[in-house]
Amino acid sequence: MPDYAHPDVLVSTDWVSHHLADKANVRLIESNEDLLLYATGHLHNAAHVDWTRDLQDPDVRDYISARQFEALCSRLGIREDTTVVFYGDKSNWWACYAFWTFKMFGHRDCRVMDGGRTKWVAEGRVLTTDVPEFESTNYGAAEPDPSIRAFRDDVMQHMRDGGQMIDVRSPQEYIGEVTHMPGYPNEGALRGGHIPGAGNVPWSRAANEDGTFKDRDALAAIYLEEQGLNPSDETVAYCRIGERSSHTWFVLKYLLGFKDVKNYDGSWTEWGNLVGAPIEKGEPDED
Amino acid sequence: MTDRLREIIDEFQGVPDEFRLEMLLERARQFPPLPERYQALREKGLGRVHECMAEVYFFPEVQDGAVRIHADIPGDAPTQRALVGILMDAYDGASPEAVAQIPHDLLNRLGVAKMLGMQRQRGFSGVVAQLQRGVAEAAR
Repeated sequence: MPDYAHPDVLVSTDWVSHHLADKANVRLIESNEDLLLYATGHLHNAAHVDWTRDLQDPDVRDYISARQFEALCSRLGIREDTTVVFYGDKSNWWACYAFWTFKMFGHRDCRVMDGGRTKWVAEGRVLTTDVPEFESTNYGAAEPDPSIRAFRDDVMQHMRDGGQMIDVRSPQEYIGEVTHMPGYPNEGALRGGHIPGAGNVPWSRAANEDGTFKDRDALAAIYLEEQGLNPSDETVAYCRIGERSSHTWFVLKYLLGFKDVKNYDGSWTEWGNLVGAPIEKGEPDED
Repeated sequence: MTDRLREIIDEFQGVPDEFRLEMLLERARQFPPLPERYQALREKGLGRVHECMAEVYFFPEVQDGAVRIHADIPGDAPTQRALVGILMDAYDGASPEAVAQIPHDLLNRLGVAKMLGMQRQRGFSGVVAQLQRGVAEAAR
């Protein structure tokens, strides 16, 4: 995968298959949309990290604290220098989300298995229901790194400054018609539309059918040529709750080498309800 | 609520959290295959629940006022298989009116809402709404 800006963050299913037994240096982490999927079968020696149960603190509507993150890593036998490889369902959405969270707490060596669970299974590779045990460690985490996370006030200022912003939801959500679809589940937002100035690139355009990331030329054609984004400028990505946008965040930062990309995890469930926050409806501007 | 649903809720409420996950897994494993007669419709993409992140397909039947729910859900969506499996079990032979009154807080009553988290609960409420529409149409 030499074409990407930071090819070392991606590993292949082959690479993983040769490191399944290296529990001392490599920790495989499966993160899925579906809570039960890990239990139906996972990679040998892979741990399960669930975005709802392990990474979020519902009482403060935030991520877990640095201390809770330390406890999680210690329980999973992760040291500060462990190579942590994330993979999961849905073209690695949730793997990227977990990757982003680990990066926020300063874990150095994080990688994503290209193609995720789908590719592993499609290649006929082995799954197991054995849950691995790890010798616990005494992990020390950094305080959350604000350079990859945007809060609503940052986004408000970014919007006023006319900064680069990418909305990675479906066109229906972006245009703002989604709340008019009959019987659609409660989206958790009072208004439909997007943050003024944001372009629209559904996250899945960065993925191939087999769950792998598109190659650099294909990604450049979308984000640089079609959207006209400048890799040197600060960029904010958002979706509904910050999960799909962590996939795009990963693509922009590591595969295309954008200098300064932030994930706005409050995303539409926050902005769509925020008093005093302007929105736009309709198609993206043609300029 | 049907008597069968009340029994299922009692089963779930009678065990601790982690065991509830096991019970969901068991239901996911036992999810019945889609009857042959619906395969062609399924392949055309009919019956798809668009609100759900997983590929869920419903083919509800109503005969002489009794509901029977058929569904197809891929194996990589075990949570949806388990939850829809509970509905198929709990409302087999029930009236369309009973389906229209599926408790909106079902996941709470089963004691699985907290472990699923708010976002996944929303996905499931879309599935229930679609099922209710499908049954209402089949009852016409």
